[in-house]
Amino acid sequence: MSVLTDVPATTSAADVVDTDILIIGAGPSGLYGAYYAGFRGLRVAVMDVLPQCGGQISAMYPEKPIFDIAGFPSVRGRDLVDGLVAQAEPYGPVYLLGQRAVELSRDEDGHPVVRSDTGTTVRAGAVVITGGVGTFTPRPLPAGEDHLGRGQVYFVPDPTVHTGHDIVIVGGGDSAFDWAATLAPLARSVKLVHRRDRFRAHGATVEKVRSLGIEIITDTEVTGLHGAEHLEEVTIRHRLTKDTRTLPAQTVVAALGFTADLGPLQNWGLELQARRIAVDTRMATSLPRVFAAGDITDYPGKVRLIAVGFGEVATAVNNAATVIDPEAMLFPGHSTEKEN
Amino acid sequence: MAYVIGPACVDIMDRSCMEECPVDCIYEGERKLYINPVECIDCGACETACPEQAIAVDRLAKPEHREDNRRFFTEPLPGRTEPLGTPGGATGLGPVGVDTPLVAGAAS
Repeated sequence: MSVLTDVPATTSAADVVDTDILIIGAGPSGLYGAYYAGFRGLRVAVMDVLPQCGGQISAMYPEKPIFDIAGFPSVRGRDLVDGLVAQAEPYGPVYLLGQRAVELSRDEDGHPVVRSDTGTTVRAGAVVITGGVGTFTPRPLPAGEDHLGRGQVYFVPDPTVHTGHDIVIVGGGDSAFDWAATLAPLARSVKLVHRRDRFRAHGATVEKVRSLGIEIITDTEVTGLHGAEHLEEVTIRHRLTKDTRTLPAQTVVAALGFTADLGPLQNWGLELQARRIAVDTRMATSLPRVFAAGDITDYPGKVRLIAVGFGEVATAVNNAATVIDPEAMLFPGHSTEKEN
Repeated sequence: MAYVIGPACVDIMDRSCMEECPVDCIYEGERKLYINPVECIDCGACETACPEQAIAVDRLAKPEHREDNRRFFTEPLPGRTEPLGTPGGATGLGPVGVDTPLVAGAAS
């Protein structure tokens, strides 16, 4: 499975989801938390604003080797994400991807109820926030967003919907090049437009795209999107020569990266320290039944590493388990004692 | 960990890095840009954006500039009584317009 193009099959569009644990943030900490909840026999749902798993890894550096994951001398970002998804998969987590958690309220029993911007309501025994640096928002195309939903997209969760199209991909990162390679066999044409002459994407990915014969147009910006109803063409302009061209396009993919901020979480009444959530040694926040783990937490001596996030989320989920069921043991047992 | 902007930025300030930074943690002095080491999430987006190749990850950066980037935020800048600290975003703050003594005194 590719973290940049595929969504796990359990994605649910249900309007109401009942679960034991809701994890907000599908980065490495959140995915490991999904495994841990499943390992404890808890039902788990994972919500993330991005339409893909992996959080910052998938969005920013899927091709980077990571050297500080215990047991892996070197692991490529996307391989780590794939492994985490596979580790949680036997427990059937419900993925609520492409959904931003916007509101926290309580049901009549005081249990958390989280609403997403797409209208999903999740009732949970406990919430674990693994939101990293916050909610990612795609950088808008400077030429405008008038054609959003009418040919202009930020993500390519299902490449087949662009079959037969002339496609212009804007950006120079891994997502832009990955989508160029993925869409090439389906599209009538694919062109990649980048405003610089250097790319953030991994060199091997760039070479792959070149070898597919995809035209890479550098030092060039998209200046206009045109089409009365659906997108029909885009105009581009060279930054130095100011030469303009018009390209046929039924799809333009704006892969210009992201900005991140805490977003709606800031209004949930959580005790914050700077732009992070204060937690105690149980990873409990200031709100009942709400825990946090990973880069988003803060306490004296905090070290922001994926390795630390793994440990914190295990602490958070196991403590949440004892809140959901006061009879439950804090210690989950050793995984070696369980048969798969 | 954080990324660090080195001396190649002085008097150039291309600002491409500021457009790429997902957490808006690159602040503008008078002659140079500075990355807030507390706010940086270590993604590396700025490193490739810089046409001067002035940006490096901290362990590979010149120690002198690693410290100087930190000082821009932790020590009061010339003419100020309070350090910048962690403003939580450069856009809201705007150009600071002052440099650290090291950068202010650099040969042009």
